[in-house]
Amino acid sequence: MTKSTAELAISTRGLRKTYRNRKGRHVAVQGLDLDVPLGGVHGFLGPNGSGKTTTIRMLLGLTRADTGTMSIFGREVPKHLPEVVGRVGAIVESPKFFPTFSGRKNLQLLAEAIDRPRSVVDQVLEQTGLGDRGKDKYRTYSLGMKQRLAIAATLLKEPDLLIFDEPTNGLDPAGIREIRNTMLALGAQGKTVLVSSHILDEVEQVADTVSIIGHGRLLASGRVADVIGDQAATSVRVGVADPVAAQRILTDGGLLVRLDGGLLIVEGAADGAEITKRLAAHDLFVNELAPVRADLESVFLELTAGEGLGTVGEARDEGLETVGATR
Amino acid sequence: MMRLTKVELRRLFSRRLTAFALLGALLITGLALFGAFQEAQPLSGEEQALQKAAFEQAQKDYAVNGKQMVEDCRKQQAEVQQQDAKADFGCNQMEPTLENMGGKPVATFKEMSRNILLGEAYLLASVCFLIGAGFVAAEFSSGSMANWLTFEPRRMRVYASKLAAAGLGLVPVTAALLSLLTAGVWLITRQLGSTAGTTAEVWGDIAEMGGRAVALAVAAAVGGAAVAVLVRHTAAVLGIAIGYLVVVEMVLGQWLQGARPWLLQLNIQAWLEHDARYSIPVCATDSRGNYACEQVEKVLSFAQSSVYLGLLMVFGLALAALVFRRRDVS
Repeated sequence: MTKSTAELAISTRGLRKTYRNRKGRHVAVQGLDLDVPLGGVHGFLGPNGSGKTTTIRMLLGLTRADTGTMSIFGREVPKHLPEVVGRVGAIVESPKFFPTFSGRKNLQLLAEAIDRPRSVVDQVLEQTGLGDRGKDKYRTYSLGMKQRLAIAATLLKEPDLLIFDEPTNGLDPAGIREIRNTMLALGAQGKTVLVSSHILDEVEQVADTVSIIGHGRLLASGRVADVIGDQAATSVRVGVADPVAAQRILTDGGLLVRLDGGLLIVEGAADGAEITKRLAAHDLFVNELAPVRADLESVFLELTAGEGLGTVGEARDEGLETVGATR
Repeated sequence: MMRLTKVELRRLFSRRLTAFALLGALLITGLALFGAFQEAQPLSGEEQALQKAAFEQAQKDYAVNGKQMVEDCRKQQAEVQQQDAKADFGCNQMEPTLENMGGKPVATFKEMSRNILLGEAYLLASVCFLIGAGFVAAEFSSGSMANWLTFEPRRMRVYASKLAAAGLGLVPVTAALLSLLTAGVWLITRQLGSTAGTTAEVWGDIAEMGGRAVALAVAAAVGGAAVAVLVRHTAAVLGIAIGYLVVVEMVLGQWLQGARPWLLQLNIQAWLEHDARYSIPVCATDSRGNYACEQVEKVLSFAQSSVYLGLLMVFGLALAALVFRRRDVS
């Protein structure tokens, strides 16, 4: 059932944005219908150049949409953005602050702009683990610290909606885990977190719901588990003493089987009991039988196969669609 | 709006470029005062003796040859006056005076303050232009503008607060530097020259010129900020400013002399000095077929320059506002 915009943190309909350059017109977003439910973490997934950042920019009033409508907490934006912007914290692409000011000074200026007391600055610095480094110049921060400062800036507002655009770009594993935990904690507090990423694992680990975008269009949306279940065929991993003989037996039985090291991967909606029964009939006994869970990468590749995007890697290289060039 | 302007003012004076530029302005003000001090110094005893000796020698020469020199001068003048009735060879001022023998006029507050304030006005305008441009361009080039707009998305308020801070923030600083300079010149001329003739009217003129210099500095800061909104990089703003000075003011200004009333430099001069005189060559062929050019003096009035500079500012600010309102911010 379609939710009303009041039940959604973000909603877009028919959103379109084109950029012009010397090579022609680039369609960054074309007719995007996006719904982000209230509360929890929503993944916004797509390869680089698929229109995620442009969509976020349009929502935040940084970029003008050509056509379409957008709303945040049921209020049409950008017309009513000033009314809801106090409830929205956002990091668009990389953190951007004044390099010669300290982290604290950068936050103080932002806090003053929205009439928040100075004490909040120390509070959010502590909250993001930057209490000791607040007095240091921003340019001396590591990438992880810059990202944390950006999160601290979003928390100055005590937002209900947080938008993180590629938040783990360039971070080390510890930094990635930190950001992931922050997002999970915010989601658990009942806040809505929209996290855009081209890293499928990242979204899978933190998101409750997901929207997958390709070529500026919505390809799939829903609960992470549902989207995977709907789009990806399940397969079964089978361990057996003689995998070559087992492959022949199962293939003869009409199943699609491939060897993966010393294991067999039975593609399609295979029935584990049926596999066990067939192999046992030939005195081959299964020592491992496990469903192979499709991940978002498989889903994405499956969803975008028909879109001409090819692999994720290719999509990254292609960037935005060039209408002028394809005509 | 007030809150945003206050935040922008805090940012303006937290910037290193602002601090360095104002320190530079203070330093140059100090150098200008040092120059004034040197200029106002009376001649030393040795210099005075040399001057006296030269004067006495000239007097002796004049006593012997003076009559003949004046006569020759008048003859030559009369010949030239047949072509040009206004020709004046200064034959009546040929008698030597002590001042003409390497002498030094007494430094008066009235003259010195006017000249030195004019120079300071141009300096402050340049410094304020740089500060205003860097103040806004840094936000675009660092990407902080996008961050800022996620806190305050009403772009016209953001635009107005930045320009207001650039302009208003520099009023007390420029006023203080001009006051310091005036006070310094007063002290120097009181000690080494003369402050006689500094009537209320003179003080009024100095105050007016100081006010116009502050207004020019404010306009330069706001103008620099507006250009930075358009081009988004301090280096690009400076490139445009230098390019304009070289190509338009220097090259085109020389080539198209008739366009001089539309050039910024002359208009600023007219604004600061309350009218500016300039000359343009007017060439014609006379009845005897001789082609000759004559320099004709013209006046660019204060009123003209005020209207012209005002319109330029309004146009520039409106253009920058329109672009900032509509352009995507990255």
